[in-house]
Amino acid sequence: MLELNNQYTLMKRQVHAEVLKEFFAGTLKENVDKLPIRIIPKQRVPNRCCIYKERAMVRYRIMALLGINIETDDDELKSLAEYVEEVMQNDTPAAPILTTISTACSSCPPDRYLISDACRGCFARPCLANCPKDCITFSGGQAHIDESRCIRCGKCKEVCPFHAVVHIPVPCEEACPVNAVKKNEEGYVEIDYQKCISCGRCAMSCPFGAIVERSSLMPVVKMLAKEEHVTALIAPAIEGQFPGTLSQIKAALLAAGFSSVLEVSEGAETTSLHEAEELAERKARGKGYMTTSCCPAYMELVDKHLPFLGERRSSALSPMGYAALKAKELNPATKNVFIGPCLAKKVEAVRLKTIDAVITFSELASLFIAKGIDVRELEGADLGDTSSFEDCRQFALSGGVASCVLSRFAPSHEVQVLPVNGVDKKMFRTMKIWEKRPAEADLVEVMCCEGGCINGPGVVVKPSVAMKLRGGNKAAAPVKAMRSVIQ
Amino acid sequence: MGKKEKVRVQICVGTACFVQGGADLLLYNEFLDPAVLGGCEIEGVSCLGGCKEAEAKDRPPYVRIGEKVYGNVNQEMLCRLLAEATRA
Repeated sequence: MLELNNQYTLMKRQVHAEVLKEFFAGTLKENVDKLPIRIIPKQRVPNRCCIYKERAMVRYRIMALLGINIETDDDELKSLAEYVEEVMQNDTPAAPILTTISTACSSCPPDRYLISDACRGCFARPCLANCPKDCITFSGGQAHIDESRCIRCGKCKEVCPFHAVVHIPVPCEEACPVNAVKKNEEGYVEIDYQKCISCGRCAMSCPFGAIVERSSLMPVVKMLAKEEHVTALIAPAIEGQFPGTLSQIKAALLAAGFSSVLEVSEGAETTSLHEAEELAERKARGKGYMTTSCCPAYMELVDKHLPFLGERRSSALSPMGYAALKAKELNPATKNVFIGPCLAKKVEAVRLKTIDAVITFSELASLFIAKGIDVRELEGADLGDTSSFEDCRQFALSGGVASCVLSRFAPSHEVQVLPVNGVDKKMFRTMKIWEKRPAEADLVEVMCCEGGCINGPGVVVKPSVAMKLRGGNKAAAPVKAMRSVIQ
Repeated sequence: MGKKEKVRVQICVGTACFVQGGADLLLYNEFLDPAVLGGCEIEGVSCLGGCKEAEAKDRPPYVRIGEKVYGNVNQEMLCRLLAEATRA
């Protein structure tokens, strides 16, 4: 997966912030068609072939932000202003959450192994000896791979003493755990939505930014502008994503126009209690292992690829589900906006019907920039009594859900925990085996993102930084919090 | 050899800088040469204002080294700037 902060993510954040600035100034429709030119000025040194292609890409990023399904609704004769007008009138449907930009796709050739010039044409020739398909030939003093016979096993790469063999992957296809990303006849990326679990790995992996999420920011800022009662449901992973403590983040959300803020960790407490109870019952009846159910990409994985796990999943709602009910209980008229690191939550939200929109931390960051909100400069808002669910903020980390469940579990039995820390192709294969050979554990905690939600596709900050800023008042003085002990 | 004065380095931790790559600069303990790190006094600072100028030619994140403010700072650039500053 790509490094988190790269040219592409930073460009995306800038585009989002500029669009929102125009929205709040009431000039979006008027100026939206000027934005690609303003963001990519003439004197810029382009990262793509030319500034004109870069401008075209900014146009597509704006369309994705508006929630347009680029695959089906891209009309090059239509101005962005016309799209804005439509979006202002009607919200676009949330699913599918991803869309592809074929113009951005570099049509990477199929993944392959290549012998580079580092090959010395050695005497031992381990590549030749180890290739199971006899596809290595020698000419001009170097080894070559016969593409038509190569099965991409990688043996030659493993054995070459000069590291002369390189593997050139197709990043999106390699990242997808369930083989839902493919190339169409023209060689451009295509997502098979029947298979896609909305984990967002492909979008995080494409170095050309050709797979994008369809944002729900517009429906949210429309709610804020209309001064409806809007509750911000903040995911446990939010701590460490912004400079400032949790209570300052709450203050920032209120300043951005949200009417109230609810920590989803509060819902996580209910999830933990429910799962602890269910686990005790399953153990008592000897029904075998149970899996957690809070990761929405895992829920999709089970529904679409591993149906045998359906009865193994806990019946508990996700923390977002319980928190949404709580918010509606506090104010039945409220609109619920979940703010998290996750794309698959959008799919869950469509199913639940108690959540009105889902945005990511990355999108919230753009909202803060557009509104000129500096989190760290605000006086913290009161979080209320958080003592019963404070530990549930660990739901954002791999291992955290299981530990919250266990601490609420009557300690009459030993509980064996198996954490699934990230679902990639290999983990998916392992999980398939459980159908024949059940997992040896009582509680299987599944998180599709490695490390947990703090490594989700919608985060702002690298997990290594976020980890150091979580807890207490650390994020109020980020530079100090990062200072290591040895200096 | 007299004790050299440490170079004062202020990393902007305003929200706009922090969320546009500034958070990566906080890993300074990992990416800076320990010798360079020893010659610097690194601290966080509230918004330096650069991003709010109407015709700003740089983009966040901003860092002030001594008296001078730099924009578009990434890890590699900070390494280079601080190596120069501590050598001077």
